[in-house]
Amino acid sequence: MKKLLVLFAAVVLIWGAGLAAGPEYFQVYKPKDGMSADEIMQIEYFVKYTRFAHDVNMGGKAYFIDKSGSTREKETARLRITLGRKLDDIAYKDLVIFTTPQVRGLGTLTWTYMDPKKQQNSWLWVPSLKKIRKISTANADDSFLGSDFTIDDILTRRFEDETYTLIGTENFKGYSSEYDKKTYFKDAPCFVIECKPKKSPWYYSKRILWVDKNTGGGIYEEMYDPLGRMFKALFKDYEIIKVNGKDYPAQILLEGKDLRTGHRTVIINTDIKFDTGLSEDLFTERALTQTRW
Amino acid sequence: MKKLVLLLLLCLLTGFAYAEEKFQFNGYLKNELALRTRDKNYLQKNKDIVQLAGQYNIKGDELVFFAKVKYYYDFAYEKDKLDKAGHYMEHIQRTEWLRDLYLDYNNNPWFLRLGKQQVAWGQADGINVLDRVNPPDLREYWLPDIVDIRIPLWMLNINYAPKLDSNLQLLVIPDFEESQGAPIGGPFTIRAYTIFDNTMKQFATSYWDINQHFPGRRLNHSTYGLQWSDRIADTDYTLNFLYGPYPTARNTTTYIPLVPTPAGSFIVARDYKLWRVYGGSFNKTFTNPGPLQGTTLRGDFAWYNDEPTYYGDPAIGKTYGYSRWDNKFWLIGMDKYIVTKWLLSFQYAQYIMEHKLADDPAQPASRRFAMNGYTYGAQDPVENIFAIKISTDFFNQRLKPELSWSFTDDPQGKVSPKVSYEINNNLLFTLGWNYFYGKATESNGQYSHQSQVYTQLKYSF
Repeated sequence: MKKLLVLFAAVVLIWGAGLAAGPEYFQVYKPKDGMSADEIMQIEYFVKYTRFAHDVNMGGKAYFIDKSGSTREKETARLRITLGRKLDDIAYKDLVIFTTPQVRGLGTLTWTYMDPKKQQNSWLWVPSLKKIRKISTANADDSFLGSDFTIDDILTRRFEDETYTLIGTENFKGYSSEYDKKTYFKDAPCFVIECKPKKSPWYYSKRILWVDKNTGGGIYEEMYDPLGRMFKALFKDYEIIKVNGKDYPAQILLEGKDLRTGHRTVIINTDIKFDTGLSEDLFTERALTQTRW
Repeated sequence: MKKLVLLLLLCLLTGFAYAEEKFQFNGYLKNELALRTRDKNYLQKNKDIVQLAGQYNIKGDELVFFAKVKYYYDFAYEKDKLDKAGHYMEHIQRTEWLRDLYLDYNNNPWFLRLGKQQVAWGQADGINVLDRVNPPDLREYWLPDIVDIRIPLWMLNINYAPKLDSNLQLLVIPDFEESQGAPIGGPFTIRAYTIFDNTMKQFATSYWDINQHFPGRRLNHSTYGLQWSDRIADTDYTLNFLYGPYPTARNTTTYIPLVPTPAGSFIVARDYKLWRVYGGSFNKTFTNPGPLQGTTLRGDFAWYNDEPTYYGDPAIGKTYGYSRWDNKFWLIGMDKYIVTKWLLSFQYAQYIMEHKLADDPAQPASRRFAMNGYTYGAQDPVENIFAIKISTDFFNQRLKPELSWSFTDDPQGKVSPKVSYEINNNLLFTLGWNYFYGKATESNGQYSHQSQVYTQLKYSF
């Protein structure tokens, strides 16, 4: 019994130490009752950036809907390889190729570093130049591809950028999608966390985030401007996909609404495939130049 | 009947391939209108364009066939004002309709692209320092997208990656295309050509024998290119080498007088001299915290060995020969987002001529100045070139304004504001203005009477 207790204590210590330094790559974590706000948020970021998977490959459709209901659509093919490589500090590499007629062939390659202070490196394949342009990373508060999500929301925000307070736990009231009229996550047990940016002044003063206990994903958030007024609501539908016996949480549907303009964005991820053995050679400038359109 | 059967067979095969998701296609229909805004207004362009592209995956991503074709008709050249240039500007010429036709073989570390294509080198935007593999089509000056300016060539494009993020590229180009310029009577005819044409008219009673000496179909007259790309400490760099015929002819005119003058024979030899480009490029984004974080620096350097360059008397716009000089061209550019989504780009370039005066003892010093090949004006020994671009977007990237201004240390340049609006998924509208200013002997200044307001309506599918 004594040995068992020692073993249990060791496991708890290792687990705690592991999370203190950030979760290890290529593991699946779920938030548990009793965890601190920081521990829950470390898992939330881990899930958000698919650090549990070696690679992911998906299609995506984005709908941009303005107040009058006028809708524009963009389609993408997206690839990500997770590296978590200390040697060159690279956390993961993303490749996004647009397949919509008007911007067909436009592609971006982005490398994200493990050091949270380091900005991303991005390359853009421009069909009208038939050339790669190294691009400066747009400011984090800029819109992500014209959507209601910012670059910060989708790509750049890190665990280290905010401070966290656990407000409580509750069963989520449910999110009614304006896109497919379905209600998501009704009565799903969630942690409610207040996230405050360290940067000040910044385009938001706080986020109230609901983290699903089952997937570890941040499913719903309300964003407040510097005057404390709610200006945006973001929803992410996470579903579990079984991959080699592991439960991988995947983002299926994202909805964002800007309450100031009434503009909405719906992003649907399709054909999500994890751990298909993507080669890092696909995430190079050379591969980007092979784009034909 | 045979053609019909072939067409049906092609449609059938395409249908099967499409059903198997092996075939993808896209294209666009586009109208471009341009109205001259200086002096007498007239329509410089009313061009309808159709482009189709198709990709067939023969064996997954390993073996892929790609083709792109384009056709246009410019109705502006049916009018009296421009009809003289119509034969060459009204519709697509020769093999221009075929923009791409190649086979890709991709088996890491090898990548081969074999066929008609474009290859772009360098980091410069709108200033061709290293982007010299494909000759330019300047019938509309540098106004169209660069992808429509480069003239595609048949080539073997062989790539080998010895390690991740590096690449060795070898180009073997047995094809040759001459760079293109607008004919007499077009809005963007270069001044040098107008001067030449006026001379011909002045000696109308003479016989003009114009001889094109295109590069021979020999291995040593093919174009060869080599590029090494790699990455050192967050900096991408390339080393480049190009050898082949210079794509713009240099004329040598010999006059054989007859009595009574001015009757006689002018024998014009148009030669395409071999030249070499040695160069390199780099780019780096500052990712670490600090005052430069988020800034991208990029640059090109080229040493043009044996670049054929006219010399003559710029005061009267007359050439007396050409020299093969070693000239240098370098550029540095910087891009940074300022105030959330305003992208500021700045480029500075220097074109440095080897000589101030040509070595031609037969001519006095006043006839040995380096000449601007486009205008027959004086070419500065060092030309300083600047380009500034500011761009942003509004309404969830639906409305995109952009302002670009390029100029040199001489009082000449081009200011181009434009705004594009995404009407719906398929329809894009662009409204812009190209304002040229400067003396007629300067590259942009020669078009100071051709400033234009333009629109583009593009339907993509």
